[in-house]
Amino acid sequence: MTRKLAGMTARSTSARPSRWIWGYRSLIWNFAQRDLKSRFKGTALGWAWSLMLPLATLLTYSLVFSVVFRANTPSFGNGREGFFPVWFLAGLIPWNFFFISVSGAMPSLLGSGSLLQKVYFPSYTPILGAVVAILVQSTIELGILAAILLVLGNVAISWLLLPFWALLYVSFVAAIAVILATLNVLFRDVAHLVNVSLQLLFFLTPIIYPITLVPDSSHGIPMRTIVGLNPLAAYIGGLRGLVYDLRPPSVLTWLQMACWTAGAIALAAFVYRTRGLDIAEEL
Amino acid sequence: MTDLAIRAEHLSKRFWLRTERRTRLKERFIRGGEPRGREFWALRDATFHIERGTTFGLLGQNGSGKSTTLKVLAGIYRPNGGRLELNGRVSALLELGAGFHPELTGRENVRLNGAILGLSRRQIDKAMDGIVDFAAIGEFIDSPVKHYSTGMYVRLGFAVAVSLDPEILMVDEVIAVGDEEFQRKCFDHLATLRKRGTTIVLVTHSLGLIQEMCDQAAWLEHGVIRGLGPAREVVEAYLGDVNDREMHGRGARPVADDVASLSGRLGSGEIRIVALEYLDGDGNPSPVLLAGAPCSIRIHYAASRTVEEAIFGIGFVGRTGVFVAAPSSGRLGPWTVAAGRGYVDLEVPELLLQPATYRVSATIRDRGHMFDVVDQAYDLHVRGGGEREEGLMRMPVIWRPPVSVAADDAADRSAGETAGAQ
Repeated sequence: MTRKLAGMTARSTSARPSRWIWGYRSLIWNFAQRDLKSRFKGTALGWAWSLMLPLATLLTYSLVFSVVFRANTPSFGNGREGFFPVWFLAGLIPWNFFFISVSGAMPSLLGSGSLLQKVYFPSYTPILGAVVAILVQSTIELGILAAILLVLGNVAISWLLLPFWALLYVSFVAAIAVILATLNVLFRDVAHLVNVSLQLLFFLTPIIYPITLVPDSSHGIPMRTIVGLNPLAAYIGGLRGLVYDLRPPSVLTWLQMACWTAGAIALAAFVYRTRGLDIAEEL
Repeated sequence: MTDLAIRAEHLSKRFWLRTERRTRLKERFIRGGEPRGREFWALRDATFHIERGTTFGLLGQNGSGKSTTLKVLAGIYRPNGGRLELNGRVSALLELGAGFHPELTGRENVRLNGAILGLSRRQIDKAMDGIVDFAAIGEFIDSPVKHYSTGMYVRLGFAVAVSLDPEILMVDEVIAVGDEEFQRKCFDHLATLRKRGTTIVLVTHSLGLIQEMCDQAAWLEHGVIRGLGPAREVVEAYLGDVNDREMHGRGARPVADDVASLSGRLGSGEIRIVALEYLDGDGNPSPVLLAGAPCSIRIHYAASRTVEEAIFGIGFVGRTGVFVAAPSSGRLGPWTVAAGRGYVDLEVPELLLQPATYRVSATIRDRGHMFDVVDQAYDLHVRGGGEREEGLMRMPVIWRPPVSVAADDAADRSAGETAGAQ
C-alpha cells in the first residue's frame, strides 16, 4: 500500500481555481475593508486614532532632536531652511507603512485561520488585504505631508516620479509581509524575532538622521556602505529625494530599489509555493 | 464523461502527527531537516465519481475521513496523491457562519464571503435581498454579527452558502443546527438546488438524511472507502456492519446490570428484580434488539418468600421521556411465585419499536401493592435494518393498492356501507 502510494506524488490543485493575484483583487479589497472597518469600530474618534500614533512619534522625536539635540536638518529643495518635523515626517510615513504592514500581516493571516479551514482562498489574500488597509492610511498621511509641502512652496517636477517609487515600495513591503506572515504560521518564533528586529531596524535606517551623518568608516568598518545596503535606506532616501530635497534619486538608487523589489517578490513567490499552499493544515 | 461534476481517482491525504503542534525554529536547528512526526493517512486511495446534478453522501464513524474528504474536494487541503477534477464553482459549507467577522455587520460579512467564493460585487448585491429574506433577520443585516443570536448566525451562514448560486455545494453536518422550521427550510432549499442541477456533497451522521436526499453514497472507514454505490445499499451495508460490531462489542458484558443494590428502591421488597436480559429471536442473549424481529425480554427475580398474585410489568420510555408502551402480565391473571431465584420471559413476536435507544422500567406488584420497581434503569438499543419510518413505533398495517371507483358505483357503495353498518 505504502509503496503504491509513494508513486502517486503528483499533486492536483484542480479543486482550486487557477487565478492570479489580479483575479483575487475583489477578495483582497474585501479583506482590506474588513481590517479598516474592524480596527476602529466602537471607538469615539474612529479614524482619527490612526493619525495619533504617527503624530505622537513625530512630536516625540521632533522634541528630542530639534529642541534638545538641536540637530541640523537638511534644507528644503527650494532653498528654505530645513524644518525637522517635516523632514522627519517624509521618512516616518514610509517607515510606518513598512512597520505596521509587517507586524500587522502576521496576526491578519492567523486571524483568518478559521476561514481558511472552511473554504479555499489563497493564503496571501488576507495578508495583502492587511497591507492595502495600511496603504490607505499611509496615503492619507502622505496627502497631509504633500499639503504641508505645498504650503511651503516645496514642489517640483520630481513629484511626478512618486507613483513609480510607490509601486516599487508597496510591492516590496507586500512581498516581505507575505514572506514573514507565511513563515510565522510554521514557526511562531518569527513574530517575536520580527518585533525585536524592527526596533533595531528603525535606528539602523536613516530615518531620524540623514545618511550623510553616518561616518564613512568607523574602526575600519565601512559604516555608510553598510547602512546604505539596507533596502529601506534606499526607499526612504528615495522618497525624501523626490518630495523634500526635490532631487530625483540617482539611476543607481532606482536600480537598487528595483532589485530589492524583484528579489522580495521572487522570495515571496517561493515561500508561498513551498509553504503557503498547505497552510490550512498548520493553522 | 463531461457530465461528471467531481472525479476523484486514488485520492490520498496524509497528515503528520506531531507531539507538539507548533514547529519551532529551535527544533529545526537541533534536529535538522523536516520536522516529522508519525504519519497518518486520513484518506487512502479513494476513487469515486460524482455525476453533475446528483447528491452524494459521505458516511462513516467519527474520524473515518469524511470531513477530510470534503476538505480535499473543497480545495482546502491538497491531496498527497491521486487526481481530482472538479467542474463548477464550489461553495463549501463547513460549520455555519465560521467565516464571519464579529465586528462587521451581516451585510459586510456576506460581501466578504461572496468575495471568497469568487463572486463580483454586483453578483453579491444581486443576491443580497434573497439572503436577507431567506435568513429572516430583517434589519439586523446592518448590525455587527457579534450581536446576533446563535440562530441568526446559523441562518445567515446557510443563506450565504446556498444563495450565492453554487454549482457544487459541500455541506458538512451543519443542518443539524437551527430550529425545526429552519431545518425544514434548509432541506427544501437543498431539494430546490438539486432540481436546478446543483451537485451536492453531504457529510452527515444522519443515515435517514442520506437515504432521503442522496443518490449515491460512500462509506468511509479509517480513510478507506468500504462501500460505494446507491445510497440505500450503502446505508444498509453500513448499518449491518455497525450492528455486527455492536453485538461483538457488547456481547461479553452482561446486558442489564444487577440493580438489586440500588438504594431508594420503592416497593415492599418481598420479591426483587435482579436483572433484565435481552434475548434475540433464537433465545441468545443480545445487547441490541433488531426492529421488526422477534425477541424476548427476561426479568430475573429473587423472592425471599412465596409471593402470591404477582404481576410483572415492563415499561418502555422514549428518548424524549414519552411513555411508549407498558405490557403487563396482569391480563393473564396473577401468578404465584415460589421463594428463591427465577425468571419470567416477555416474548415479543415482532419488535415494533423504531430504531433508537429506550429506557426500560420493570415492576412486580400485586393488585394495589408494589413489590418492586426499577424505574428506567435499563437501556434498550433497538437497531434498524435500513428503512425507517417517522415516529416511535411501527404500526402493523396493511396497505391495499388503489381502487378506482366509478361515480355511480360510488353512490351505491356508500349506500351499501351505510346498510352494512346498520
